[in-house]
Parts: sequence; C-alpha cells; structure tokens
Amino acid sequence: MSRMIVARTLDEALEALAKGNARILAGGTDLMIALRADRQLGRELPETIVDVTRLVELNRLDLGAPEPFLGAGVTFHTLETHPTVAAAYPLLASAASTVGSKQIRRSGTIGGNAANGSPAADGVAALCALNAVALLASPGGQRRCPIGELIVAPYKTTLAPDEILVGFYLDRLPGEDSQVFAKVGRRQAVAVSRMNLAVCLDRGLARPRVVLGACFPTPRRLQEVEELISGGKPGEELWRAAGERAAQEFVNVCGWRSSANYKVPAVKAMMAHALEDAWSALA
Amino acid sequence: MDNLEFILNGKPVSLEGVPGEMSLLDLLRGRLGLTGTKEGCGVGECGACTVLLDGRAVNSCLTAAWQAGGREVTTIEGLALGGGLHPMQQAFIDHGAVQCGFCTPGMILSAVSLLGENPDPGEEQIKVGLAGNLCRCTGYHDIVHAVRKAAKVMAGEES
Repeated sequence: MSRMIVARTLDEALEALAKGNARILAGGTDLMIALRADRQLGRELPETIVDVTRLVELNRLDLGAPEPFLGAGVTFHTLETHPTVAAAYPLLASAASTVGSKQIRRSGTIGGNAANGSPAADGVAALCALNAVALLASPGGQRRCPIGELIVAPYKTTLAPDEILVGFYLDRLPGEDSQVFAKVGRRQAVAVSRMNLAVCLDRGLARPRVVLGACFPTPRRLQEVEELISGGKPGEELWRAAGERAAQEFVNVCGWRSSANYKVPAVKAMMAHALEDAWSALA
Repeated sequence: MDNLEFILNGKPVSLEGVPGEMSLLDLLRGRLGLTGTKEGCGVGECGACTVLLDGRAVNSCLTAAWQAGGREVTTIEGLALGGGLHPMQQAFIDHGAVQCGFCTPGMILSAVSLLGENPDPGEEQIKVGLAGNLCRCTGYHDIVHAVRKAAKVMAGEES
C-alpha cells in the first residue's frame, strides 16, 4: 500500500521525493495505469506517491514573459482552450486537442507527457519544435535541460529520482509564422500517434522547424529536412522533396522495420500536406 | 494518515485509510458501494468509469482517489436530485440512447460535462465531447440525438 502526499509546496514535494521509493503523480493518465499493472502483476508499489498538481510553480502559464514559460502541470485541456496558448502557440493548442479524449485532456499534463517519454508523445513533438528547455528542481537546486537531452530513449528520461519537472521555457515565435500540427492514429480519438508532425514556417523559409514524432526513438528536429526547405522555392515540388527526405531520415535512423511499409509512404504524404497547409496559412 | 475528505454527490464524506494507489473508481465502487460507475477497461480508453470532478468529466480509473480531496465528485447516482431524472437521463430514455446500459452512466456524465462547457453544441462538437466514451450497442446516432435534445430542454427551448 502506498502513502499519498498531496504536496502544497515545491519544498514539500522535493522532501518527499528525497526520501526515495516515490513516484510523482500529476494527471495520472500514465501513472495510474502503471500502478494498476503493478498491482495485477504482484509487483511492489512505491512507498510514497507525491501529488504535485497543487503546486503553483507547475501550474504557471507565462507565455508573454521574455522567456515564455509553460508549467509542467498545465493540462492538455488548458493548452487546448486557453486563449493565450491559442494566440501565441497554436501548435501546442492543436497538439493538445489531438490527445486522448476530453476526460484524458482534463487530467493529463504536458509535464507528464514529457516525463513518460513515449516516442509517440504529441505534446513532446510540439515542445521539440519550440526548442523547449525543461526546468528541473531538486533539493540541490534547479537546472535546465533541453527536451532532446531530457528524453534520451523510449520511456527513459534523465530525470533524477529526487527531481521534479517544473516546466518548460519555449522559444518565442514571430506571430506571422505559421504553426501546424498533424497526427495519424488508428482512430480519430483516444489514439496513440502512429505519426505526428509539428511544422513551423515563415514567409521567407528562413527558419523552418520540422519535428516528426512516433518515428524515432527520441524527439528531434529534422535538420536535413529543415535545411532542404530553407534552401528551396516554396511549392508542391519542395514539399514533396521534404517528405522524401523525412522518410529517408526515418529509415536511416530506424532501419526498415515492418512498420516502414506503411510509414514511409505515409510520412512522405503527411509531410507534404502539412507543409502545404503551413505555407497556405501564411498567405 | 489523514482522512480523505471531499464532497460526493452534494454530501461531505471523510474516509480513513485510503491507499495512495487506489483509484477513484475503486473507491466509489469498492468502498462506497456506488456501482453506477462502471469499470469497462480500467485504462482510460472506454469512458465507462467517467465521473464529474468539479463538474467536469474525468476517467475515474485514471484518477487517484486522493485527487478528489477538497473537490466535488458527481457520480451517475448524484445526477437525479430532488426525486426526478436529470434532463440528460430523460433524453437518453426518450430517444433510444440506452440499450445494454453499461456505457450509459459514463456517457450521460460526459454529455452533462459537455453541456456545462457548451450549452449548444453541434453534432461534431458532441462527437468530440463524447469521443472518450465507447458504446458497443447503439451505434452512437441516438446518443448524439439525445444530447441535442437534452441541450434544448436544458436551455428551456423544449420540454
């Protein structure tokens, strides 16, 4: 039997974690499933569960700050519906809207999405496109960690056992740039991404951002695709070439897995469509 | 260990010895005998376990019981207050939206939550609002229709 600590302050949460054998509870949409599996399989439960949902630091949404900040405890529902998010980061709002169901979005948090470290995480793909830098707190102090160095393998993060993910600093994107999120899953809702795409374009194609998720072990921007786009003439030919390049990158990194028969043509088409959409949105 | 305290269907409850890992679903069904909330999958994919937390739909199988602390929980049992059915319940009955009934408590609560956010949803919005609730019997058509009808009743446009 685990003991629940509903932390009222960050210090209280850190103190509880420092004692060891503790799990952090935010939305619970991943942890509760893991604990249920533990119970069913007779595995040992954590001694302590630390509920961090009431911590003000994790619920901070400060997207207008010089360093835009997104608290780890912000739910997908808030990301989907908050006017500030829609205005400054439509990419995040769009990604959030594709996660799970209404019920899951009410509970699930962007921090939990990152800490769980699924290669298919929709929130993470958007964070990656925004060059998110995680803020981590521990009894020893605070540190920052780019999202690509936080999630280092499927379901594996560099979070220390006594660390709490507090939130993310995001790049500020020019308001005139377009932001597009696309997702393909086995269903229209309550679906883990088989592929997701986060794309940001500007009129001059000077600073494209392209993230392809659920196709790599860890979150990454596709540098070679971005370079191809920024060197090219906008139009169907360029979008198709970018799709080909992205599919090539997928095969280079992951090899020709059984899913490649589906994913290679799907990535090509999805990338081309998303770039077309992002370009049209600039008009 | 402190007691877990929250408002359940309008009444305060105080419970001792609630394990940290216990889900709200297990608390409601197992400890409190409120079996209107169903366990369809236990992993947040079917929505049969949907309850309202501060008026909004969540999967109780994914919610730790302790997360209800200091908040308001509404189960299907708490919808029909004052002796009469909630307009949503009545609409489901009137418009063929109930067959086996297993998805129904969760479906109704999701619909109530939806109307709380948007009192006049269109068909697409209802489908998105109920996307987290699976029904194996009805094919959803009559459910969506019932929600539209309930919305009109609750807005005072129909009775």
